[in-house]
Amino acid sequence: MIEEKFYLTKQGLEKIEKEYKELLLLKQEKIHSETPVVFHSEELDTEFVAFKEDIELIEARTADLEYVLKHYEIIEPPTGQNKETVQLGAKVLVDVAGETDELILVGTLEANPIEGKISNESPVGRALLGKKVGDIVQLSSPVVVSYKIKKVSY
Amino acid sequence: MDATLKFLINVGQLKDRKRRGWIANQVPNCETTASHIFRTAIFAWILGKKKNLNINKLLKMSLVHDICEVYAPDETPYDPLLPANFESIKDKKKTEEILNKWPKLSLAQKKRRAELKYKREEKSLRRLLKGTPVAFQKEIMDLWQDFEKGYSKEGRFAKQIDKAENFLQGMEYWQKYGKIKRDLWIRWAKEIFDEPIIIDFIKTIEKDITTKKK
Repeated sequence: MIEEKFYLTKQGLEKIEKEYKELLLLKQEKIHSETPVVFHSEELDTEFVAFKEDIELIEARTADLEYVLKHYEIIEPPTGQNKETVQLGAKVLVDVAGETDELILVGTLEANPIEGKISNESPVGRALLGKKVGDIVQLSSPVVVSYKIKKVSY
Repeated sequence: MDATLKFLINVGQLKDRKRRGWIANQVPNCETTASHIFRTAIFAWILGKKKNLNINKLLKMSLVHDICEVYAPDETPYDPLLPANFESIKDKKKTEEILNKWPKLSLAQKKRRAELKYKREEKSLRRLLKGTPVAFQKEIMDLWQDFEKGYSKEGRFAKQIDKAENFLQGMEYWQKYGKIKRDLWIRWAKEIFDEPIIIDFIKTIEKDITTKKK
């Protein structure tokens, strides 16, 4: 079985670690200060049910984060000749059909195309990885889309 | 009025709310937000099964992902560039020119736009849920935030299914009316999907729909 790996930028990792710590604290606070007294059956006590749901949500999220924190790999800025190629974390200026566009290549957890953060597992991300300024990558489907790399920075 | 009844009446408005992206593209008799939500839920269900995801969570998430549009605008990637009254005859030509090209925004503009959209939608959702049972409000807010931020596997999957449904609808309109800029949509799909099951399904759409104009 292939083990899942999450590629994170330093900022992305810090964000996850911060959220994880905050959730653990929140859970402790809730348990110590809000545990409702159950007067009758736990299933019927709405306050208890809401409390239990809150705790379950926090636990589910902390479990997700724990998994990421056990399986992450930090994206390091490349050195030497690799600096000229598209690697994770690269800011890439491309030319597509005569129009320029900027995108950042990130791991799947940080991908957010609306912000221009493209996943390394998307067809475009996969095609750009390892390429350098001047290279043209083509993605074929019913339409051929060509990306010419104009600039790579970190 | 009873808060739950008010909530249902408000959500019901989405059954008549035509999606702005299609209006801008001059698609005749285009779908509504509720129609999009309906097929997104079915789409999430059928593909989510293949990935062994929590279908209960996925379905709820799909159902609530766009209900904020009762009070928030249904934004398109072209919004910052489109004329304010793109529906007016006067601005139709300008709108067409803009839609013929990729929406060109800097990374800073994209980030700002995403932040503003999130804030507007969160505010709208809180307004919509006001007065409904607290546990219900909390559940919907948690599901919506998970969808928006991609906290869980289901959240990340549902977000891509939302876009995949949009892609399918766009390609159906292209096939039927030819109003949609197919090549730009295909480029968009190559950038936004990274979930293997969805990428495979996009290929199926491309093969069966985007090559055959009616």
